[in-house]
Amino acid sequence: MSRFFILTLDGLTQGAIYAAVALALVLIWRATKVINFAQGAMAMFTTYLALFAIDHGAPYWLGFVVALLSGLLLGAIVERVIVRPVESAPPLNVVILTLGLLLFFEALAPMLFGGQIRSFPPAFSIVGLHVGNSQVAFSAFDAFTLGSVLAVMILLLVLFQRTNLGLRMRASAFNPEVSRLLGIRVGRMLTLGWALASLVGALAGVLIAPTFLLYPNVMDQVLVFGFTGAVLGGLDSAVGAVIGGLLIGFALSYVGGYLGSDLETVGALVILIAVLMVRPRGLFSLQRLREV
Amino acid sequence: MLIANVHLARIVRPTLNRHLLLALGAAVVLVAISEQIGAYDDYNLTAVAIFAVAAAGLTLLTGLNGQLSLGHGALMAVGAYTASLLLKDHQLPVVVVLLLAVLTTGIVGIIFGYAAARLRGPYLAGATLSLAVALPQIATRYKNIFGGDAGLSVPASAPPAWLGADFPPERWLAWIALAAALVTMVLLGNVLHSSVGRSFIAVRDNEAAAALAGIDVARTQVLAFVISASCAGLAGALFGYWSGVTAPAGFGLGLSLQLITAIVIGGLGSLAGAVWGSIVLVFVPSLTSGMASSLNVPSSVANNVPLAIYGATLVIAMLVAPHGIQGALKRLLALARARWGHSPASGKKGVMDWDDPAPGP
Amino acid sequence: MLEIVDLTVAYGPVMALHGVTLTVADSSITAVLGANGAGKTTLVRTISGLVRPRSGSVRLDGRDITRLAPEEIARLGVAHVPQGQAVLAELTVDENLRLGGLWRRDPSGQRRAMAEAYELFPPLASRRHLAAFSLSGGERQMLVIGRALVARSRVLLLDEPSLGLARLVLVQIMARIKTMVHERGLTVLLIEQNAKSALSVADEAMVLHLGKVVVQGRAHQLSSEEGLRHAYLGF
Repeated sequence: MSRFFILTLDGLTQGAIYAAVALALVLIWRATKVINFAQGAMAMFTTYLALFAIDHGAPYWLGFVVALLSGLLLGAIVERVIVRPVESAPPLNVVILTLGLLLFFEALAPMLFGGQIRSFPPAFSIVGLHVGNSQVAFSAFDAFTLGSVLAVMILLLVLFQRTNLGLRMRASAFNPEVSRLLGIRVGRMLTLGWALASLVGALAGVLIAPTFLLYPNVMDQVLVFGFTGAVLGGLDSAVGAVIGGLLIGFALSYVGGYLGSDLETVGALVILIAVLMVRPRGLFSLQRLREV
Repeated sequence: MLIANVHLARIVRPTLNRHLLLALGAAVVLVAISEQIGAYDDYNLTAVAIFAVAAAGLTLLTGLNGQLSLGHGALMAVGAYTASLLLKDHQLPVVVVLLLAVLTTGIVGIIFGYAAARLRGPYLAGATLSLAVALPQIATRYKNIFGGDAGLSVPASAPPAWLGADFPPERWLAWIALAAALVTMVLLGNVLHSSVGRSFIAVRDNEAAAALAGIDVARTQVLAFVISASCAGLAGALFGYWSGVTAPAGFGLGLSLQLITAIVIGGLGSLAGAVWGSIVLVFVPSLTSGMASSLNVPSSVANNVPLAIYGATLVIAMLVAPHGIQGALKRLLALARARWGHSPASGKKGVMDWDDPAPGP
Repeated sequence: MLEIVDLTVAYGPVMALHGVTLTVADSSITAVLGANGAGKTTLVRTISGLVRPRSGSVRLDGRDITRLAPEEIARLGVAHVPQGQAVLAELTVDENLRLGGLWRRDPSGQRRAMAEAYELFPPLASRRHLAAFSLSGGERQMLVIGRALVARSRVLLLDEPSLGLARLVLVQIMARIKTMVHERGLTVLLIEQNAKSALSVADEAMVLHLGKVVVQGRAHQLSSEEGLRHAYLGF
């Protein structure tokens, strides 16, 4: 297998996870114009909850469900209890609020679960699959990663574009005031938006933990990569976020493979700055900067 | 008598003079305090001064200019590593090391500031977040230069001979840090009250209007960033002296977030607030570790209690007291004045607006 | 029937409405006139629940709706069409119309109402699946009125529908509204700066000045009495 091909496959799988995080961030951004900097930390926390269940005898899939359900719940609670009271405050306040949540979860996790690095089981075998006579650098788990992220995206697409609930959610995101005047319970739509975003984040958490291991700060990097992907795609576009996430996955894989794995985050930083310098609102953004 | 008053007023009225006098007064008080307290407290006093320097720069950037930076921990690292590298093989006077650290970090600030000049809101936050997470990795990657994960050691600065043979080195470091802090406060205080400071605020409140008024927005953003970066560099170099070792682990995202906690608690845009916040930042861990050891709590809990408290504080502050300690004090003052002076107290709750001010009716 | 009793609204220290009292009968059009800043928009925003009054009450068919959330008031059949930004521009025409009646959970009734709306406003039918931002001003007004139709609203609060509309289109739309009032018992509160055109369709009228009601009465009386017209309505 050529090195490039291996790196590409690797980039694809990682990219899928960053795409999921990017999607989670964009979901919340479109609904509330807030970047949930705590998204990664919340995903870390739900992964710890899954591990807790597994440690206490639950089969892997039950732990998986625990992660997703707790993600759903956590997102809803955070929106309703913590973010809702400040929704009319200036955006900087809300960002600082999410940063506080990030700190809090990253401190709470080691307090509850201990701070040592833990390993997390993959859903399926991580051994390369056999195609014909040769072995490919693509495992059953990689396939599952790609597949589940894809499935979630398709489900969300269907939800938003083809259901009345999705219509209400989109309306609430575009114009909450007019939506209220149309009888839409905008508050509930926001809570649902956060819950779904957190669900996606939780999925990303259990998908990346086998590779990155699990410790309180593990999702910092993932958040950065997911955010970079979201920004690359332009925060207003869910499709852009997914593409951005995948692009980052590829870019990081090549940087890590050819230049050294320590430089991955630096690579992401350089890419982010380079793109933002040329397009300060992201690659696919429709917005134009107000020029004077 | 009247002539003396007029002369006094003429001395005090210009901002610079007022600040210098304040700083002088503070210096006298602080020196007196440091003479009385022991080595451990000098150590804490130094820490407060260090954080105050970094926080002052950050509060200028975020509070006054509206640019949220999640990467100032990394900028402190730049200052710290500069100091460490300079002191690796040479003996240099403290002032030289500090100035060079300021210079280096200032240059990094210019580079990053220009790159980020057009970024607003979440995009800037994300870019600085990447900086925070990426910069420590450079140290790990280039082990030979930066000492890798173990880091570089920083030799302590010896007190000069004229202070006496048994002058405690902790107090010497405290004096250096306090001097640096006071100088920073005076300089930043002047910037705050100057046209430069006003241009920061103008760009924060309404960029388009500021541009129409003739303010070079990009230059303003870069200038604010460079000033705050230089402060972070100074704080970082002092941090190196204070902790004795410069390693990537000490400058992660957590440090950047702690700085944000400090300026939020203290009150965004307020130099006094930077000091309050720094005091909280230094004393909460010592308080909680004291409580933790008396309660026999495991280290995984004890070490993380301060961070959990900071996180919770940020959340609660945004929910309840967005203007921090300085804001609360101001509101108390306003209420008091309203009681006794019959003037209306303002009830505005927002910290500031990232885009345009809140829409009216 | 919509009753507004002694409504007082303030934004901080600024008083926007002082003790406004008004009764809007069913199946009628009441014009609310006055200069900029007189409090007209504040009045409808308070009725629809976007603004909380300091004192006073709003009653819909005897029920006190003063402190209800806007979405609950909308579900009681009150459609507030705000100035300017009333369509959801990123959604299609069809989606905008559908939103009108979603909360009713009556799919067949919804389909019927949407068909009626398309019949009433043919330009909408031909642009069904286009995004709303591609509509002209007149078409957008048709869309919001159509939406109120689909919502089977009983009370329509129209805030300056004439803004940005060509005269001919405005006349068409006002004619449609009048028809809906007579055929469906719709109750309309019409905010307008363009007093002349408002008075030509309205049954009742009132004039707000600096938050207070200065004139109230039958619409044709207001337009015929010259002194009043000159003083408050500018013609």
